[in-house]
Amino acid sequence: MTLEAIAGSDNGDGGVRHGRLLVRLAEAMWEGDPGPLAAVRDELLAAAGADVLVDAVAVSANFHMMTRVADGTGTPLDSGTDEASAGFREEIEVNDLVSRRHVPSA
Amino acid sequence: MLTYATELPVRDELDAAHTEAMAEWSGPGTWWTGTQRLAIVVEVRRARDAAPLTPWQSPSTVDGLVPDDHPLPDVVVDVVWRLTNHPGTLTTDWHASILARGVEPLAYVEVVSIVAQVNCVDRFADALELDRMPIPEARPGEPDRLIPDDAEVRHHWVPTADIGGPNVWRALSGVPAELEARSRLSTPHYLEGWAVFGDVVSDRFSLQRVQMELIAARTSKLNECFY
Repeated sequence: MTLEAIAGSDNGDGGVRHGRLLVRLAEAMWEGDPGPLAAVRDELLAAAGADVLVDAVAVSANFHMMTRVADGTGTPLDSGTDEASAGFREEIEVNDLVSRRHVPSA
Repeated sequence: MLTYATELPVRDELDAAHTEAMAEWSGPGTWWTGTQRLAIVVEVRRARDAAPLTPWQSPSTVDGLVPDDHPLPDVVVDVVWRLTNHPGTLTTDWHASILARGVEPLAYVEVVSIVAQVNCVDRFADALELDRMPIPEARPGEPDRLIPDDAEVRHHWVPTADIGGPNVWRALSGVPAELEARSRLSTPHYLEGWAVFGDVVSDRFSLQRVQMELIAARTSKLNECFY
């Protein structure tokens, strides 16, 4: 998977099967506008089938939960992830987020 | 018996997990009664369905938005709306201001847990145009106020237990029942427990793991979640 797809559905499929549609689905769920949501749902249904549609919605819904757990509790990045992600955080444009938190150095 | 009425192939374990979650929200928790926990569920729905407020607008300061006889303190309503609609804007100062308004630190954790879970369940239903899980009657009983012996503020804003594992796993550990509830709900949506961190290649359900991670990453970015 390449990282540009994380930035938005205008950036291709990220090298992932149905990647652009999956990203569009996540975007439509976040925006909550029924029109675009119905449109991408129909496209994904036609391209990948009903099981993929349901499972993709389930994954996105899970991360609406996990992000709220992390940000509601002030969860800092794990030290191992912190080091491993340093090289690509700039590329996916997350370094300036208000929710940026690191475990303080000892 | 399945709750969702649909021709879509919603897996039985997903339907069951959502049904079970709603049943759990209707009963007493560790810090809140069943009536209060269901009021949190209702408030998440009101927050999502209402005309949007800016992050710095608290519903309790908007005339007529929070009735005087609301079962939750105003501060909890404010937490529910902010966490539902603007999770990426929360700061250390904001959290401190919530505690300063009289919310117990671990009672706050239970609110976070329920809000997060309801956002999962309802957004799933909404995205597939399913009827949201119906809200049952609250079950009577008092919260048990169980505090783990080793709960203390470590690296999070909130007290956590010393259970090991990634930080997001520990986040709800100050209220063990909520950590378990969140984990039970997550498994049929994504991955089972430690597989999240130990296995990055196996496919799951109808999805390739890389497809799951793309959806997860994009959803997290949209929510402005650094973690």
